[in-house]
Amino acid sequence: MHPDLTLRIAGESGEGVITIGETLCKIAAREGLHLVTFRTFPAEIKGGPCMMQLRLSEKALSCHGERLDLLVCLNQQALDDNLEDLGEDGALVCEAECELPDEGAPRTVYRIPFERIAVREIGSRISKNIVVLGVLSHLLGLPKPAVEKLLSEKFARKNRAVLEHNLEALRRGLDYAREHCSGRKTIRLPPGGKQNKLLLSGNEAVALGAVAAGVKCFFGYPITPASEIMEWLALHLPRLGGKVLQTEDEIAAIGCLAGASWAGARSMTATSGPGLSLMSETIGLLTMAEIPAVIVDSQRGGPSTGMPTKTEQSDLNLALYGAHGDSPRVVVAPTSVADCFRMTGLAFDLAEKYQLPVIVLIDQALSARLETVEPGLVERKPAALRLLAEPAGGAAYARYRLGPAVSPAAVPGTEGGEHMVTGMEHDELGNFACDEEAHTAMSVKRHRKLEAINDDALVRDLSSHFGDPDADIGVVTWGSSAGPAEEAIAAANRMGIPVRGFVPRILSPLPHRDLAKFLGAVKRVIVPELNFTGQFAALLRATYGIRTTSLTKVKGVPLSPGEIVEKIVEAAEEIAARSKPTHGKAAGQRV
Amino acid sequence: MEKLQDSACEYLSGVCPVWCPGCGYYGILSSLIEAFAELGVPSHELALVSGIGCASRLPYFVKAYGFHGIHGRALPIAQGVKLANPKLTVVVVGGDGDGLAIGGGHLPHAARNNVDFTYLLFNNAIYGMTKGQFSPTTMLSAVTKTSPFGLPGETVNPAALAIVYGASFVARGFSVKKEHLKNLILEGIRHRGFSFIEILASCASFNTTDMNVARIIKAMASVPSDHDPAKPLEALRLATHEEKIYLGVLHRAERPTLEDRCSEIQRAARARGGGAYADLVAQFA
Ligand SMILES: Cc1ncc(C[n+]2csc(CCOP(=O)(O)OP(=O)(O)O)c2C)c(N)n1
Ligand code: SF4
Repeated sequence: MHPDLTLRIAGESGEGVITIGETLCKIAAREGLHLVTFRTFPAEIKGGPCMMQLRLSEKALSCHGERLDLLVCLNQQALDDNLEDLGEDGALVCEAECELPDEGAPRTVYRIPFERIAVREIGSRISKNIVVLGVLSHLLGLPKPAVEKLLSEKFARKNRAVLEHNLEALRRGLDYAREHCSGRKTIRLPPGGKQNKLLLSGNEAVALGAVAAGVKCFFGYPITPASEIMEWLALHLPRLGGKVLQTEDEIAAIGCLAGASWAGARSMTATSGPGLSLMSETIGLLTMAEIPAVIVDSQRGGPSTGMPTKTEQSDLNLALYGAHGDSPRVVVAPTSVADCFRMTGLAFDLAEKYQLPVIVLIDQALSARLETVEPGLVERKPAALRLLAEPAGGAAYARYRLGPAVSPAAVPGTEGGEHMVTGMEHDELGNFACDEEAHTAMSVKRHRKLEAINDDALVRDLSSHFGDPDADIGVVTWGSSAGPAEEAIAAANRMGIPVRGFVPRILSPLPHRDLAKFLGAVKRVIVPELNFTGQFAALLRATYGIRTTSLTKVKGVPLSPGEIVEKIVEAAEEIAARSKPTHGKAAGQRV
Repeated sequence: MEKLQDSACEYLSGVCPVWCPGCGYYGILSSLIEAFAELGVPSHELALVSGIGCASRLPYFVKAYGFHGIHGRALPIAQGVKLANPKLTVVVVGGDGDGLAIGGGHLPHAARNNVDFTYLLFNNAIYGMTKGQFSPTTMLSAVTKTSPFGLPGETVNPAALAIVYGASFVARGFSVKKEHLKNLILEGIRHRGFSFIEILASCASFNTTDMNVARIIKAMASVPSDHDPAKPLEALRLATHEEKIYLGVLHRAERPTLEDRCSEIQRAARARGGGAYADLVAQFA
């Protein structure tokens, strides 16, 4: 029995790969298992190879794993593309017709005539995926009633015949596997946990988090991989009295957000890189006018339209700096699905409390991945509200009063609170003022918010520490790269290489106290991230004047723990080589 | 503005307008606050939203909630304001460049959504604030700083565009005809839905030729008394007349507003049931 199990289903898009994967996920979640998935999508609307990888475990997981225990291939192309990722002891399940390579074929192979069973015995090619599900149910030892129940729920809206058809397909798959796959090595699901878990994608967690945080208005323009956030909210938010509007473009979306938020509604938008760049002028306005806003950016491969269905962490600079002038904003970076929920809520709290834009930086892999979440983790209430003005009659209300970092806001409709908000530099009343004193004082006011946030209990304990607290080698990373890093650190420590990790979940303002302490205590800083230039590493170098070792990747897929382990081993070897007495050319060459 | 009624003066913020002497916008400001006075809307329930340009400076001069945004984006901002608080009376102001060039993409959508606010487009056929470049409404033959040899493209007709985009109320006024303009603004605000008012105005500093007051006065005419504003094609015919510049209400139609549609959507969603947070969580179990 495996402590955890990683399986991948690969096929042509349209063959039902995602249905199989999602069904397995749902069953596992109901059995109380932890799971993390990874899926790839072709950029085309129809056709093209796709796959879904699931890692299941009794224990909490931080990433989707790399060594496959089970590979399911629905066609030859899928087999050719994916076989090399199957571990030596792994098992292959494939369409009977597939040809295996002469060398490197796995030891355990189940060839199943999926297509034939579906067409001849069920009479429909589209039920092939349910036949596959039947075979996997047997191989994984899934409880049959649970699978049947799930199918019944899935096809409840269709007519009875469709359900019967699918249940029949499931049975045929099961029977075939029972007859032909027994006596061989059977892969078992890890034993389940105590409590049923929820199964959500990162995008769903963001949307649910927004609802829990009291979002009232959502404005957006469709873009992969963020669209699902708007789609989910369009379905659910109106029921709770909220409003969702698909606008004519991202500029309009964030403009609506600015107006709605000024008028007092907790408001939000979600986009991806190209949309975020269109929004950057308005982000400057939000900073200048001191209006709360939550902006989710699910990063994809860039620049430009780039690789719209593939993941990357290359909008960091845009998120941190994208706008004209000095435009302080908060940037938070969730690392997991549960985190997407939590950090979206935090984003609202910070935006409202400090009256500024907050960007939630996720990426395609996190948006699309399914993960189990403990039900208790999706309960929350707004923890901070906007400081509202109670204008006294007589004296004019000063919207931008200097003094504390945050000045009380009067929401339109409030008697006596009439004021101007503006993107122009202004005095305390909001009136145009372009003298040096006003610009200096207001720049200080806007930036002071970040200092105040650094001291706020809301952002305490946002960073994760991993590994050996005495190690000289440190790994610092962010967002979805945290999972693979955590696993790599654990693996390296098991190999006897002392290493520790630090993951800040807030990137602007950086958690200086903890981060500086960590960076000061290690001799070597490895920064893994999914972009070409090492944007986060550059930020660390610029902020702390340290040296970093970048591990970058732009293949459109997440980092694997193995890739990070390699970098750690390299660093360890270099440190060892340098601490030896120097002879000849070896020492001090590579730094 | 010495002739203003006392009640209208209460809508002045006290901030002195920064417009050039002789700018047509002064007339618009006085018509606007007179309309507010007649409407009797309390200033804290008034939201004025603008983009960037000379026209967009107007909210500073009015006692109300004011949002001076960025170039071209007043319409989306105002739409957000209205959705967040439908009780507010929202008025959007901006120039022809702001509304038809950089922000031109938003007009069809504000019209089609029929957001219940009033958009005053100040048409001085030039970019005033940036000192005299041509705008989408500048006449083809005009010599401006960026069209020293004439314009590259045809002239846009704002009222006609608004009719074609499906605005449910379209009117044309003239900054010099203050009483007439005040009435148009009143009608526009009272109209349920998106009201678009093109307001002809002069730019004393950069457009004294093609859009000057004398030319408008020569060509202007009142919308005929037998005009049926419910017919968009008739409205379009008047709006695009070759010789005459028709002033008045060109088009008016009643249809659901964005707020109506949002309420409708909320009702439909609630009918599906499961409106509690726990129900949302349950779908992931
Ligand atoms: C993104 C952006 N581009 C350009 C400008 C410069 N700009 C400010 S006002 C303006 C044109 C104003 O013309 P119009 O909208 O016709 O208003 P008017 O000043 O004539 O009232 C321009 C181009 C800007 N502020 N922002
Ligand atoms: S530049 Fe023209 S539009 Fe601007 S204030 Fe002066 S006269 Fe008015």
